[in-house]
Amino acid sequence: MMGGGMLFRVIALSLAALTIALPILGGPLAGSGIGISPYLANIIGQIATFALLAIALDLIWGFAGVLSLGHGLFFALGGYLIAMHMLKDGYVNAGVVPDLMTFMGWTELPGYWAFFESFPYAAVLILVLPGLLAFAYGWISFRSRVSGVSFAIITQALTYVAMLLMFRNDTGFGGNNGMTGFVSLLGMPMGAPSTAVWLATASTAAALGAFLLCGRLVRSPFGRMLIAVRDDEARLRFLGYDPVWPKLAAWTLSGVMAAIAGALYAPQVGIINPRLLSPEVSIEIAVWVALGGRGTLSGAVIGAVVISALKFWLTGFAPDLWPFILSLLVLIVVVGLPNGLTDLRLPKLKGARHGG
Amino acid sequence: MTLGLTRRRLLKTAGASLLGVGAASFPMPGLIRSARAADTVKLGCLFSSSGAMANVEGRLTSVVRMAAEELNAKGGVMGRTVEVVGTDPASDWPLYAQLSRQLIEQDQVAALFGCWTSVSRKSVLPVVEQSDALLYYPLHFEGEENSKNVVYLNSPPSSSVLPAVEYLMGPDGGEAKRFFMLGSDYVWPRTINQQLKGYWASKGIPETDWREEYVPVGHSNFQTLVNQIREFADQPGGQPVVVLTVVGNSIPDFFREFANQGISALDVPVLGLDALEADFEGLDTAALAGHLNCWAYLQTAKGPANDAFKAAWAKHVADTGVPYRGDVAIDPMVSVYDGVHLWALAAEKAGSFAVPEVRAASPSVSFACPSGYEIAMMADSTYVKRGVFIGSLNETQGFDVLWQSEGTPDPLPFSPYMKA
Amino acid sequence: MPVIRLLILLAALFGSPAYADRAVLSGALCAPALADQIAALGALAEAGATGGKDEAAWARTVVEAVDARALRCAASLAFIGEGDAALDAASLAPSPAPVDAAPMPINNRLRAAAASAAAALTLFVDTEPAARAKAATTLERRREALSLTILDAALAAETEPTVLAVLEPLRARMMLADPDPQNRIRAIDAIAAETTLRNRTLIAEALSEEADTTVQAAGQAAMARIDRQIAIGQVLATLYSGLSYASVLLLAALGLAIIFGLMGVINLAQGEFIMIGAYAAWFVQNAIRALLPGLIDWYLIIALPISFLVAALVGVVMEALVLRRLYNRPLMTLLATWAVSLLLINLVRVTIGTQNLEFHQPFYVVGGVPVVGDFIVTLNRLFAIAIAALAFVGVVLLLRVTTFGMNVRAVAQNRAMAGAAGIDARQTDRLAIALGSGLAGLAGVALAPLYNVNPNMGAGFIVDSFMVVVLGGVGSLAGAVAASFGIGQINVIMEPLYGAVAAKVVVLLLVIAFIQRRPEGLFAPKGRR
Repeated sequence: MMGGGMLFRVIALSLAALTIALPILGGPLAGSGIGISPYLANIIGQIATFALLAIALDLIWGFAGVLSLGHGLFFALGGYLIAMHMLKDGYVNAGVVPDLMTFMGWTELPGYWAFFESFPYAAVLILVLPGLLAFAYGWISFRSRVSGVSFAIITQALTYVAMLLMFRNDTGFGGNNGMTGFVSLLGMPMGAPSTAVWLATASTAAALGAFLLCGRLVRSPFGRMLIAVRDDEARLRFLGYDPVWPKLAAWTLSGVMAAIAGALYAPQVGIINPRLLSPEVSIEIAVWVALGGRGTLSGAVIGAVVISALKFWLTGFAPDLWPFILSLLVLIVVVGLPNGLTDLRLPKLKGARHGG
Repeated sequence: MTLGLTRRRLLKTAGASLLGVGAASFPMPGLIRSARAADTVKLGCLFSSSGAMANVEGRLTSVVRMAAEELNAKGGVMGRTVEVVGTDPASDWPLYAQLSRQLIEQDQVAALFGCWTSVSRKSVLPVVEQSDALLYYPLHFEGEENSKNVVYLNSPPSSSVLPAVEYLMGPDGGEAKRFFMLGSDYVWPRTINQQLKGYWASKGIPETDWREEYVPVGHSNFQTLVNQIREFADQPGGQPVVVLTVVGNSIPDFFREFANQGISALDVPVLGLDALEADFEGLDTAALAGHLNCWAYLQTAKGPANDAFKAAWAKHVADTGVPYRGDVAIDPMVSVYDGVHLWALAAEKAGSFAVPEVRAASPSVSFACPSGYEIAMMADSTYVKRGVFIGSLNETQGFDVLWQSEGTPDPLPFSPYMKA
Repeated sequence: MPVIRLLILLAALFGSPAYADRAVLSGALCAPALADQIAALGALAEAGATGGKDEAAWARTVVEAVDARALRCAASLAFIGEGDAALDAASLAPSPAPVDAAPMPINNRLRAAAASAAAALTLFVDTEPAARAKAATTLERRREALSLTILDAALAAETEPTVLAVLEPLRARMMLADPDPQNRIRAIDAIAAETTLRNRTLIAEALSEEADTTVQAAGQAAMARIDRQIAIGQVLATLYSGLSYASVLLLAALGLAIIFGLMGVINLAQGEFIMIGAYAAWFVQNAIRALLPGLIDWYLIIALPISFLVAALVGVVMEALVLRRLYNRPLMTLLATWAVSLLLINLVRVTIGTQNLEFHQPFYVVGGVPVVGDFIVTLNRLFAIAIAALAFVGVVLLLRVTTFGMNVRAVAQNRAMAGAAGIDARQTDRLAIALGSGLAGLAGVALAPLYNVNPNMGAGFIVDSFMVVVLGGVGSLAGAVAASFGIGQINVIMEPLYGAVAAKVVVLLLVIAFIQRRPEGLFAPKGRR
């Protein structure tokens, strides 16, 4: 069921190796032949956050059968929270006035920006706010048994609503321009090579942590419960289990992981804006998971890494081709490889995979 | 209709796709790019050829290529051939930052030409500042920014919008008294409207004589807003004007509704600050004649420099088969064209491609812009001084020059009207 | 040659007193102040009206030159045209303009006055009654250069009843400043016959300087009448906006509802089918323009069946290549249809380009018809409403009356039982997909006069149309209609109060909240799946 212990171990080991090697190859050895440039480290770091995001979605989609087309919401939430911290920190401690204050003609930031200069406060919010949001939304939806396609569409609508709101400048989050011009994070100046390397290391470490945690979870009794929910929710109810709670726990955890990914992503790209909330971004996350293969965790990582690396490379090199390659890849995999790219490597697994 | 797929291009794309699949497992962006000989100098482009901005942004890369060809035809810059590196940021703002980093660090470009929207510029800004690179930015924009790493080729509101509004308020412009500001909700319209309000307040115009409304970017249903504009316009108090700062596809949608509801430019003129000839393709412009726009270049500008530019563009489109109209020239195209030439002149003057030297030499060179003005960078900022045109829409989807500035007004990076 | 020209000029100059008058009249246009220039246009119109047909024709030529921005001024001498090709505005004889002759600056207020003067002069020049009637209607709106003298002259000369029917009330309206209070009251009533806010402002401005109490009373009554009509007009305008928005939603959602209701498949490429329908209409337009230019005004109607078929074909191909293999995996079809949409967008992008397509706008989708108050029925929206209504009625009939419709309903209610009863469920699916896609194609034609047509146009409909389908209830056509109207109307009512964004946000949140309470939507499906 777990998509082959072998593959799982290979990916875990690669992530661990990257986490250890990055600070060395990007630090003392940066200039040498085997060194990693800050530019490459930055890309590795971004891809690692995508992998983390894909793991988060696979937990809820691959194992609990709940497709979210709105994981961009949690991802963006994490990104916005860390961006608010960096802007406020730059404003308070370095005297850099955020752009959004200039063009809105504000002399001070709105009340809800209070305390954001403190990193611990922001860090707690990054864990708590998305968790609360996911819990509240999941609690309402799962109890009223909204599921399947309806759930997917509604998560997308919710993300779309958030995008419309964030595009508004009155809401005080920078509108379409979002937030940019970060000064430093935890005392590390933005743009310094060492910062890029450390952020990348943190990202691979986070991806590794999430990978191992979810790997354990899905093998536990809780994980079997999730799979039971996915495969036949009605029967589970008959048997006297309440499927709401396992679903809700996985959903909340998934939201928090996505937010952590966002919080690691925003400092690495140096900008956060409402585009992360657009429907395409959220669908693309689902595409990573579907391409890699759902319900294996390994597939999610492979999908995220392969597609985003391909995208990075092609948009610079053969920009016109990228959408064609992506769409054809999706069609081939969806039609021909029901379990994603992992089908290419693994013998067919026993047991039918239900639903979609 | 150009199909855009010539045989050569097809072969190129096919080859690229093979490479793309082959290299998928080794994500090393830029490393694969072949090393070029040392006798070239590279210019990087950051204009989207896909996504929401593709319609207008894509053609600017072709203009940069055209300008580079002109330079190369004269022997290059300081004996080096100019090579243009194009990218597609796909209207995805973080990708602009990503690709600019790639162009600077991997391709070692001498200068960047790019960005249309303010948000994409803001996204690239930290990158160029960190590596002390130079970005030539071709769009008129909201100002309130002055980075030594950006050459602002086009005008901030102080030297484009304010002169235009001043003209409309004067006797020649029709003595506008009341203003309806309608914009897409983002930084450019917001900043402009804020400066306008400050300006009007300084002229003693009461707050009741203006109204401000915003719609989301990409908004298309303007029924309610056009009703509101009619209501505003039909009230007493003097000549009303609409200051329109909606962008992109909202522009034709707005004008279509405006005309269909039977409001004439003769009663309520619209000053469409981002309106271009291309926005009126497919609209019945007979019902829209007399609406206004305001740019640093209009296609109908008179002079040999403009004739030469338009001819060169038509030829470039015909020669390369790029899918753009050869008979349409818009302001940002001219701005980016000016940018390439200003960069080349400054580099020659400095005798170096190093950014600090080029920047230092920039204020001392000038270029005969197709708009008919001799343009140059300011000495105390990186803003380029441009002329101002007000265009009046005619029946054939073009803009006639209604008014143009005497010389090139000094752009003010920071508006005195912001804190009103 | 210049010598001859000079002789002509001298002869004209000294030979005819009319020349001197004309030189003064046209030269007045060169005054520096805008008010004087507008007055000069009025004077020109008056001179033409009272000076006979030749004078009127001359005046019209000069006025049209102003509008065409051909007038140049050297001191107080006006020329038409540039340099050596210029004409003396007074004699219309060739006369090179001095090098320092500057083009007369023109703005929209001058152009309005010029249009007014040109219309007034047309009443005296044109022999076509239709042209004179058109000019008279223009004068109703543009009175900048109109005076009582002109109107009285026109009324005296006019014999055509259609023209008189416009001019007589117009004369009444011109009496707003008349010394006789009765005439002022008549003027107010004539103005109030058209109940627009603009006319209300006219009356209000007149009343602010009115001393006579009977006129005041009549004015107040007229304004109250207009206020009532405007209020009615506002309600109707809101309803109409809501209706037109609802029809757009319904057009986009109808096909989606059929496919979703039957197969539980959400087609994320539905927006792109709309785009394909619009592009098909564009090709139809180009074909008609090339082959049957006489029918060009009717291309939108001709495109209806063609766009339906083209989009249906694309839908069938998608079903055969992709969806067929994905039944029972609805979430995977979601991703597959997304990939199809990405593919379609980019195919169109590289083959045709990203620019907005140019559509010829036939008369039945241009402009609007004023109804009451400031309420105008815009024709392009009416066109979309009509197509939406037709499409809906057609679909209902198809599903109620035909065997195919019966099959669809049977399969939707219970797929297994329908199969057992001998219905080929797969065949029904294929036909239903064709129908659903074809309806999106129809939507493309209906929306072409309303929206910009480009490769990305479909993306704008995705979220909205899903909300309609989900809110309406799976597979319920009545639900889709109710949901479209609800969403459209609430949106339009909220928009002026809180702005377009807030309206959309609130509506979406309401729908999401509603779904949480009633996951089956407004109209619960009868069958089981």
